[in-house]
Amino acid sequence: MMAVLTQKNPTTIFEKLNDETWRRKFVRNVVIPWIFIAPLLIVHIFVVAIPAVQGVYMSMTDWGGINPNVNFIGLENYHELLFEDQAFAKSLRNNIIWMLFFLTVPFIMALFCATQLAQIKRGGMLYRSILFIPYVLASVVTTTIWKNLLNPKQGIVAASANLLGIEGFEVAFLGRTDTALMSIAFIDNWHFWGFLMILFLAAMQAIPPVLYDAAKIDGANRWQEFRHVTLPGIRPIVLFMFMMVAIWSFLAFDYIWLITQGGPGGASEVIATQLYKNAFQRFEAGYAAAQGVVISIFAGFIILIFVTLRRRGWDI
Amino acid sequence: MKRFKLLFAVAVLVLALAPVGAQDVTTVSLWFGEGATLDCWGPIMLEFNDVDPSVQLEIVPQADTWNATRTAVVGGGGPDIVRTPGPSFVYEMAQAGLILPLDTFSESMGWGDFFFDWALDLGLVDGQLYSLSDELETLILYYNTDVFEANGWTPPDTMDELNDLGEEVAAAGLTVFSHGNASWRPSNEWFVGEYMTQIAGPHNVYKALTGQIPWTDESMVEAMEVLNDHMQAGWYGGGIDLYFTNEGPTRRAMLADGNAAMNIEGSWAIRELNDYHTESGQGWDWVSVPSKTGDDQFTIGMGNTSSINANSPHPEAAAKFLTWYFSPETQGKMLTSCRKGPAPVEISDDVMGELDPRIAKVYSDLSDASANDRYGYTTWTFWPPKSDVYIYEEVERVWTGEITVMDYLEGLNEVFAEELAAGDIPPIPNR
Repeated sequence: MMAVLTQKNPTTIFEKLNDETWRRKFVRNVVIPWIFIAPLLIVHIFVVAIPAVQGVYMSMTDWGGINPNVNFIGLENYHELLFEDQAFAKSLRNNIIWMLFFLTVPFIMALFCATQLAQIKRGGMLYRSILFIPYVLASVVTTTIWKNLLNPKQGIVAASANLLGIEGFEVAFLGRTDTALMSIAFIDNWHFWGFLMILFLAAMQAIPPVLYDAAKIDGANRWQEFRHVTLPGIRPIVLFMFMMVAIWSFLAFDYIWLITQGGPGGASEVIATQLYKNAFQRFEAGYAAAQGVVISIFAGFIILIFVTLRRRGWDI
Repeated sequence: MKRFKLLFAVAVLVLALAPVGAQDVTTVSLWFGEGATLDCWGPIMLEFNDVDPSVQLEIVPQADTWNATRTAVVGGGGPDIVRTPGPSFVYEMAQAGLILPLDTFSESMGWGDFFFDWALDLGLVDGQLYSLSDELETLILYYNTDVFEANGWTPPDTMDELNDLGEEVAAAGLTVFSHGNASWRPSNEWFVGEYMTQIAGPHNVYKALTGQIPWTDESMVEAMEVLNDHMQAGWYGGGIDLYFTNEGPTRRAMLADGNAAMNIEGSWAIRELNDYHTESGQGWDWVSVPSKTGDDQFTIGMGNTSSINANSPHPEAAAKFLTWYFSPETQGKMLTSCRKGPAPVEISDDVMGELDPRIAKVYSDLSDASANDRYGYTTWTFWPPKSDVYIYEEVERVWTGEITVMDYLEGLNEVFAEELAAGDIPPIPNR
């Protein structure tokens, strides 16, 4: 008992290192976790961190993508990108339109359908599977299907409308500057919204049923149940997906590339397609790297907004 | 234990002997895009392995071949034979020392004996030979003979005749040119290069490519105005929005089924076009794309080039393969078996005699035009990369009414001037 009372907690680093108990705790709580995480960390450093730093450096050079001789040109690429390149401004505008579309249309569709499906007790899995199938299709398959469906001469959309006597569908939606971007967004959303719905549905099913029972006892109608029970229950996943979709909107590439490659006349050009052309067709890899850095800054800005909201007490 | 020792001894012997045998055979690697082209070309290229057993060709099917090759070569790897999509792509690689100069091989292996002089010049970078051009191609005016016969039309010789005929075709309710760029957006550039050559004239294009006149020259403006007029009239694909939507099979079917009268496209299209017409039962033929002057003028293009990787451990073996591959015999066989556009080499009359006369005529007329100063330039072969991308990307903004022809040409002038000043222009044979 006396020994325990006289034992001092180590305070200096030397005392700590001499203390057996402290050393064991340190190894268990600090060293071993780092050993476990080390392989992943090393891979991450080589595969993500170093190339990212290289990318930032390359964005300040005139590198063409082939010749290893590069000249450092400072912020010239960024100056051209932000103040002179009208095509970039147009692409950025298209990215923002794309983001606004994907932050509204698929969310509304997914929330509505998930709410309906959550109430189905029999055959619900079948509906979910049917609605989820487009998400597992390869983008090249989806785009080929829709390019054919939307063909103004042979497409089923125009043919069906004709059959029903509805005019106005013999339009080359993907070939017009005023409809191309939104048509591609529609196709991408056809594949994407099912994924969002499944996430929301899973979140809804995790809401304790007693909350709905309590709401019913309080006389809540369906809308009030949704407004005061469902929505608060799934808010973290909805807000998280808001953040992810906003970031993904700046990375949009595959559907646009496969359908119009940014055309016609740049009407569906977004930053990622422009970046690809600069890097691999115009051989302006340094300039393309600057565009990549700008996309990352946008993504960082979106994350910052959500981190700030979280710090202010939002349940994200 | 005894048995184990015996097995061990045999294994050691086999391992010791194996490299001795392997040293005698050198493998030359070549990356090639997967698909129907490789299915036909591949077996013929592999016949090289019977010619010289000490050098064996290995073809590696590769998706997105050029991007994969470029990335690998820059990273210090890649195949022994480096194929690029055209001479303009060779320049940067040569400057970076990623491919080898081929002058010594050319001399020792006698490439000058079978390549046309101007064709070897296309592979020069700073006076040294770095690449061999392959797949000679040109653009021609295909037409549906049944449709022409039924309507009493004759193929046009001049641009004025083409304009008159186009109006008649449109009045008959047919599409003038079966086209669409949905499958290959850069196909826009076919028409830009062709109209420049046929209306501004190949000599003016040469002057512009060598910086003697600007792209805003009156003759270029006229050429682009005519192209824009044809686009706005809906002659291409049935309308601008349809042009942007029509896929490759649609445009082939339009001509083969008689819904369109003509099609301006490269000689590479013959094989596919012939299949579609065989199926529809309607005939096809071709004439040179009508020019303003009425002269038969042909733009010259190269589908790809071959070089030797600077990292190749055995460049001599790679050069041996190139010598065999570019020989008139091999090229002739690939032309007759696969309808491959031949490399710019002298192909014997016997080989040409085996071909469909319409196909043989393409190459004989092209050869005649190049010998008689009636050749022009395809954009993907003779324009530097940034200008080339500008040509097919920005011209859509003219067609959609966003910018004028003059805005477009001023932009081209600006981009081209930068590349000209940087010395990035592919070799332009003197004329």
